Amino acid sequence: MAIEPVRSNPIDSRPWTFYVLGALFFAFLAFLYGPMFVIYVLSFQGPEGGVTFPMVGVSLEWFRDIARKGQMANIPPAFGRSMALAALVSMLTVFMSVAGAMAFRRRFPGAGLIFYVVIASLVMPSLLVGFGIGLSFQFLGLQPSLFTSALGAQLTWTLPFGLLAMFAVINRFNRAWEEAATDLGATPFQRLRYVTLPILLPGILGVAISAFTLSYDEYARTTLTIGSHNTLPLEIYALISSATSPTLFAIGTLTTLVSLGLIVLAVTFVWQMDRQRHARRGNEVEAPGDA
Amino acid sequence: MRDEATRSKPPGMLEMERKYDVELVAVTKRYGSTVAVDCVSLRIPKASYTCLLGPSGCGKTSTLRMIAGHEGISDGDLLINDRNVTDLPPSARGTAMMFQNYALFPHLTCLDNVAFGPKMRGTAKAERHEMASQMLDLVQMADFAGRYPAQLSGGQQQRIALARALIMKPRVLLLDEPLSALDPFLRVKMREELKRLQRELAISFVHVTHAQDEAMALADLMVVMNGGRIVQAGTPRDIFERPTNAFVARFIGGHNVLPVDDGLVAVRADHCRLGPASMSQGLRGRISHIEYQGPHVRVSLAMPSGLEAAALIPDGEFHEHPVAPGEERSLVWQAEKAHGVAA
Amino acid sequence: MATMRASDDSGSAMMRHDETAVVTARARPGNGRRTGSTRVWLVSWAQVGPLALVLLLMFVLPAFLFVVVSFFDYDRIGVYPAFMLENYREVLTSSATLRVYLSSFKFAAIVWAITLLLGFNIAYFLIFHVRSATLRTVFFILCALPFFTSAIIRTIAWIPFLGRNGAFNQFIMGTGLTSQPLDFLLFSDFSVVVAYVHLYTLLMIGPIANSLSKIDKSVIEAAWDAGASRWQIMSNVVIPLSKTGIALGSVLVTTQVMGDFFVVRQMSGGQSASIVSALSNEIQSMQYPPAAANAVLLVIIVALMVACMMRIVDVRKELLK
Repeated sequence: MAIEPVRSNPIDSRPWTFYVLGALFFAFLAFLYGPMFVIYVLSFQGPEGGVTFPMVGVSLEWFRDIARKGQMANIPPAFGRSMALAALVSMLTVFMSVAGAMAFRRRFPGAGLIFYVVIASLVMPSLLVGFGIGLSFQFLGLQPSLFTSALGAQLTWTLPFGLLAMFAVINRFNRAWEEAATDLGATPFQRLRYVTLPILLPGILGVAISAFTLSYDEYARTTLTIGSHNTLPLEIYALISSATSPTLFAIGTLTTLVSLGLIVLAVTFVWQMDRQRHARRGNEVEAPGDA
Repeated sequence: MRDEATRSKPPGMLEMERKYDVELVAVTKRYGSTVAVDCVSLRIPKASYTCLLGPSGCGKTSTLRMIAGHEGISDGDLLINDRNVTDLPPSARGTAMMFQNYALFPHLTCLDNVAFGPKMRGTAKAERHEMASQMLDLVQMADFAGRYPAQLSGGQQQRIALARALIMKPRVLLLDEPLSALDPFLRVKMREELKRLQRELAISFVHVTHAQDEAMALADLMVVMNGGRIVQAGTPRDIFERPTNAFVARFIGGHNVLPVDDGLVAVRADHCRLGPASMSQGLRGRISHIEYQGPHVRVSLAMPSGLEAAALIPDGEFHEHPVAPGEERSLVWQAEKAHGVAA
Repeated sequence: MATMRASDDSGSAMMRHDETAVVTARARPGNGRRTGSTRVWLVSWAQVGPLALVLLLMFVLPAFLFVVVSFFDYDRIGVYPAFMLENYREVLTSSATLRVYLSSFKFAAIVWAITLLLGFNIAYFLIFHVRSATLRTVFFILCALPFFTSAIIRTIAWIPFLGRNGAFNQFIMGTGLTSQPLDFLLFSDFSVVVAYVHLYTLLMIGPIANSLSKIDKSVIEAAWDAGASRWQIMSNVVIPLSKTGIALGSVLVTTQVMGDFFVVRQMSGGQSASIVSALSNEIQSMQYPPAAANAVLLVIIVALMVACMMRIVDVRKELLK
């Protein structure tokens, strides 16, 4: 039987749907980032320019403007408040979501109820949540403030996200690891500290970063619960309603850089951990499907 | 070319002439720069039970998946039922695959799982449910028609997977380590079922396994693979009696590979006995383990050269002249039972 | 060391054999099972306690409060505890209410359809077509990154992009596709939908990708082996098995749209209103009882929508599997 020349087998090469979906994906990315680039570009708008094109020169004027105490908005203190609140929200969310997700590993009375409350908190229109809290504080004669009402309002948003994210992470966690730890003499606390948490760490980091950025960008739940001193998004909103200047875009560029920085940090950290754990000796090549 | 020759013959003669269900012709599989299957040629006779046997990474699963059409063939040709199917998708080859973890559709009932193939071909609901019911009867799972895979045990899931594959009326059924997830007793029982089915349906089964006892019990044709190549192919008896090289002898189990003056020989462990340490023939060593296996006792000897060998002694014989670990003995065998093997 | 017990009320003692010690099974105390699992429940309650407490104080009780307030009386000066249905009557019979709800439903439906189509295909691409895990993570991060910039800024950014003198119009005029700038791009329903899709598609991609990644790939191979075509595999295997993700994504997107007050206001140029923006006006003018009544109505409607979507699949069971 003559041997025929090598042919490209349809199974190994890509089906046409790959190209279509790939094109769709990149079109989507272009769609996502289009306005983002508008923000980035316009933040370098010249001093005479406005919030639309054309660009009248290029300058760092609007970045400088951020630091100035303006008529309508005072950015630096608002930024500081946002950061502080976001850090606190992040830490609390991580702690409570991880603990909560661990609780759900077994069936316990009330689990269903709590789950539905969590989902409800997630889907409830944000402004209404703020409204409820603001109203409660008013009726109780309390002053809404950053680290009480605003904190609480933001937690109603970040906790459900955190919990659902941790569900996904814990699903992939193998109980056998904990059993092995117990078998080797670890106390529950040691087990948590040396086995469970380290393995869950990438997921936990993800929740921390997400919670931080969700808080830091949060507007609707915060606006009615903030009291007298605004966080950054509220200051921004004030800027929009009064006069629109490219300062807004400069802020957008900066906040994106902050988010990007955080994500890069987290990803690098996780990647390093992963590399360490998967370090191979020599070149083992995995051929799929071989038993 | 084959096509020319077959076309000129009257149709009746074709059926008689067709001897092989599957033919692999110099088939190679490459993943990047690694060669997983290296120029393998094999002919699988009509309606036979073939086992591909070998250690992890030997290429047996890749070979099976190439026959199935779930892996592309880098080089070479594949013929099924005398048709060149090298470029055809799985459903057009006349094969059906039973996956290692069964791969049952979790969202469908057992009946719907089995009826899936006909549904894809457009068979009407009533008809395909009838077909599926019949298949469930064949694998004795008729009572489970309305259950979901998650509600079934491993052995039960396997039967459903089998029914799902067989409803397609394949010429060749491909089984990817079907018995490895089962407990030992169930394994033996399912083995019998598989063999019975193969005989009844008169189609070919190609069965991948790393367990030699399984392969020996089931195969009409046993194919031992290592490093992407076929090392030896033949009936189980052929291979067990006359392994061609040391690897096969060791892998097939129950053999000692021993150095003699001009090379290596393989001797079946049950053809070996223990003699006094002072014997001139045989190989001297110290008894390292004694393992009671029911009908036999397995006595392991460690030689000064570092070699380990074993004698499989019938239990009555052993207990007449028992030995203990640490004693010095010689491993002896009859010359005609030794079989020269390549290294 | 194990102790040896003679056969007695324990019920399962063993005999001595040579010198080896044996372990006997001691009978459990009568209420052993109950004590054991109660202790386990306590652990769970302790773990979920903080989260539950925060949600109780900051979500459940306030929600309860505004239900109560919705029955209150009010005038220009203040709010008076009462129990009257007047607020509800006003809300339910006002034509403005109807108009604004229809508008929101319309947007919710359109945005849901687009984000579902986009989100599913992108999730599918990322999970099934991208082979390298590293690349997949990179792509996910690329998709998720914009989500972490303030929604307000992202929405505003569409204005210079879609405006008459905006980037997009300049681009298509520059390449000669049209001679006049396209007007409908901004301050219209179109721009509202565009902004929503831009903001919320990720909410579809995430849950659907999660569902898709749980599908055993050998199940898809088995379908192909059985002769299913590409489309048959999609409709018979992939889509049914990703129902949870689709349901969750749908819930997230539609509730965001129903609860939005910013996007509509900005992107429609003030032509359309949203339910919540009308509400926020009332809150600004301290008319809490009618605001509360509006809020309760919205919550009920959203709850109904969510309940419908979640009946399709038992979301809780799927998420915790």
